[in-house]
Amino acid sequence: MPNAVALKVLVVDDQNSVRQMTRMTLEEIGIRHIHEAENGRQGMDIAGLQPLDLIISDFNMPEMDGLNFLRAVRGHPVARKVPFILLTGRGDRELVVKAAQAGVNNYLVKPFTAAILREKVEQVMGKLS
Amino acid sequence: MANMDQLKQTFFDECAEAMQQIEAGLTDIRQGHSSDDTINAVFRAVHSVKGGAGIFGFEALVEFAHVFETVLDGVRRGSLTATADNVDVLLAAGDVLSDLVHMSQSGQPIAPGFGSESRSALEQIIRSDQAGEGGAADDNSPAPAEFEGIDFTPVPADGFDFTPVPANADDFSRGADALRSYAITFRPKAEMLKKANEPLYIIRELRKLGELDLTAETESLPSLADLVPDRPYIGWTGTLRTSAARAQIDEVFEFVVGDCDLEIIEVDPASATAGDFGKADAPEHATQAQVVVSTAPALEVGSTASKAAEAAEATNTNRSPAAKPAATTTRIELERIDRVVNMVGELVIAQAMLGQIVQDLPEGTSGRLSQILEEVVHHTRELKDSVMSMRAQPVGAVFQRMPRLVRELSAKTGKKVRLEMLGETTEVDRSIIERLGDPLTHIIRNSVDHGIEAPADRAAAGKNEEGTVRLAAEHRGGRIVIEVIDDGAGINSERVLRKAREKGLISPDAALSEDEISNLIMLPGFSTAETVSDISGRGVGMDVVRSNIQEIGGRISLKSERGRGMTIQLALPLTLAVMDGMVIKVGRETYVMPLSAIVECLRPTRSDVNDLVGTCGMLKLRGDLLPLVNLGDLLDITSAAGDSNESVVIITDAGEGSRFGLVVDELCGHQQVVIKSIEESYGSVPGIAAATILGNGRVAFILDIEKLSDLAVGPSSGAGRSRNAA
Repeated sequence: MPNAVALKVLVVDDQNSVRQMTRMTLEEIGIRHIHEAENGRQGMDIAGLQPLDLIISDFNMPEMDGLNFLRAVRGHPVARKVPFILLTGRGDRELVVKAAQAGVNNYLVKPFTAAILREKVEQVMGKLS
Repeated sequence: MANMDQLKQTFFDECAEAMQQIEAGLTDIRQGHSSDDTINAVFRAVHSVKGGAGIFGFEALVEFAHVFETVLDGVRRGSLTATADNVDVLLAAGDVLSDLVHMSQSGQPIAPGFGSESRSALEQIIRSDQAGEGGAADDNSPAPAEFEGIDFTPVPADGFDFTPVPANADDFSRGADALRSYAITFRPKAEMLKKANEPLYIIRELRKLGELDLTAETESLPSLADLVPDRPYIGWTGTLRTSAARAQIDEVFEFVVGDCDLEIIEVDPASATAGDFGKADAPEHATQAQVVVSTAPALEVGSTASKAAEAAEATNTNRSPAAKPAATTTRIELERIDRVVNMVGELVIAQAMLGQIVQDLPEGTSGRLSQILEEVVHHTRELKDSVMSMRAQPVGAVFQRMPRLVRELSAKTGKKVRLEMLGETTEVDRSIIERLGDPLTHIIRNSVDHGIEAPADRAAAGKNEEGTVRLAAEHRGGRIVIEVIDDGAGINSERVLRKAREKGLISPDAALSEDEISNLIMLPGFSTAETVSDISGRGVGMDVVRSNIQEIGGRISLKSERGRGMTIQLALPLTLAVMDGMVIKVGRETYVMPLSAIVECLRPTRSDVNDLVGTCGMLKLRGDLLPLVNLGDLLDITSAAGDSNESVVIITDAGEGSRFGLVVDELCGHQQVVIKSIEESYGSVPGIAAATILGNGRVAFILDIEKLSDLAVGPSSGAGRSRNAA
């Protein structure tokens, strides 16, 4: 049962307002260590250096989109094992399939509430204390 | 921790940027110079707006954005063509979206049918797409929070080890986007440099592909004196970590491959970093179950024991150095910048005072002090420049409102007008940008309303049916010059002259040049509403425009060519707060005038001055006659110079090509002055632009040269009191 306060999470989204919303929501469920990045490329910089317990990333971003970011993470010798939750704004079957093939752990549709986020995170990480 | 209101504000800031993207992108596509990236950027912008709107509950915005986004998605996937008509629909949709954003921001209630016309147009495009494709069923409503039909079992992290599972061979090529490492050796030979191939550019290109870590071999570098510039002395070795294809890496060296020693070898990343984190990770085509979406077995997990966190911890020390900075821009509250600007202003004043004290020290004592003070002056100037540049914004911020304005005006007036914009990236102080919007809107409105003729008239005159208005900005000689050039009908100068005479704005026998006539339309009193549109076809509020521009320290001039068009030029100062000034004295009063207005200074003799009834005299200068203006008389100060032989005449440029000689008692030197506004305390004082604190600690007024020349210039034109008028 992972301790929420100890978890280190990376939030990736090109929109600052969405990043902040996600941050607020994560803080609501008790998470404190939150890194931020604007796109997949920046996300990789952080994932390559920081020890992470979870990555939550949007799909639609410039420079490197969420799917390619996921693939990059899964191909990285160290970061590849970090659980990855993909955010999507559209009910895109194709995207979910591709993401599943690339090794995503869960997906979230925007907009989401704290309750839904918690549920999705716990589905992957186990019940948070 | 940000609160909801701050977040909302952030969202609306993002929307503003998104709107810009949409407008600019769609315009590029409309004009035929766009790339794949353009449509993607526009799509993303709309998508972002939709996403954020959903979070904050702006339903109307979400719904409209969704339809908008669907069309854009079709275009970027290629199932829809970006025909001119379609793009026009998209442009109109962008306008509606912008309106919805503003209404959401201000909390205005949104009428249920708002934007329905645009929405129907969009839906029609979508229908035509589906018709073509045989009717894929997108019901056009935003996806519900959980969508049916896709049964996805979340994959728990415990003991999670994923290896990619391709469902079809072509669907997900083996590790196509995984990161790989390459050992690179690059040693340019003499031929490479002789063919003008620059190693730096090649390294830069390489760096764009991924993480590049190079070491330069500098052993063969001779001393500077022995260095032959076009011989290569340096080679590089290192590694590149990239997810790019090998072909892309080869492409970087395409042109130089024969002229250098080049080695690119893929290395196993596991061996590149000391591997103590479990098994080697050559991707395996596992025997794991394929992901089938309708009935969903969970992805089978591998058997590695180590958890992600532990593994990362263990190898942290092996990480290659320096992460790139996460962002190179940041958001700062304007207030903070303004405070710094003020502080720098105070610093400039204090430094001037210091300079004064040093100057007054007895000879010989101040040597070292002067030197250091000079350094301080130099640094302060640089500091001021840097701080000013923080407030600088590209004029594009104001320009970008214009395309929509032109679109709406053309539609309303039935004229065909194209807007060209140049130099949008030219930077200007923020405060000027804010005050530029209204005047510019006015000028462009005039151009379209009155300048550009109806398509039929244009065709009859042998012109292109579509008129062009060009909006251009550039830096010129320490100022920002903004021009609005149209190819319309220009000003009808006979009528303007006639009306000006009728209104007593000019004397009946005054002889004016073409330019001077054109500029008449900016005189107060010229543009009384009921007469304007018949006469010059222009000029509603041009005097207001002119005073707006002058208030921010700028100048405006007009040039018109009958039948060919009109050019309006605005010259604005780069910054408002600090200026180079000339300190002058009249009697016991000290004033400052802008250095940029001074052409030259001289001490004329009696014989150079012609007395002319009704004026202070005319100065003969190299064949020209310039009107003289006595500052003392104008400002009601007793001059200290008893004999006019001792007066100094400053040849002053009053803008619009007119010059005059300003008569003062003495010049006291020039210095940088910090402009302090007096409007709050005194309102608008004719002749005085602002105030400043001089080096000696005393307050001095900064003269408003253009107003002065209006007030004082003789009887040939201009309203206002002239004390010496006959």
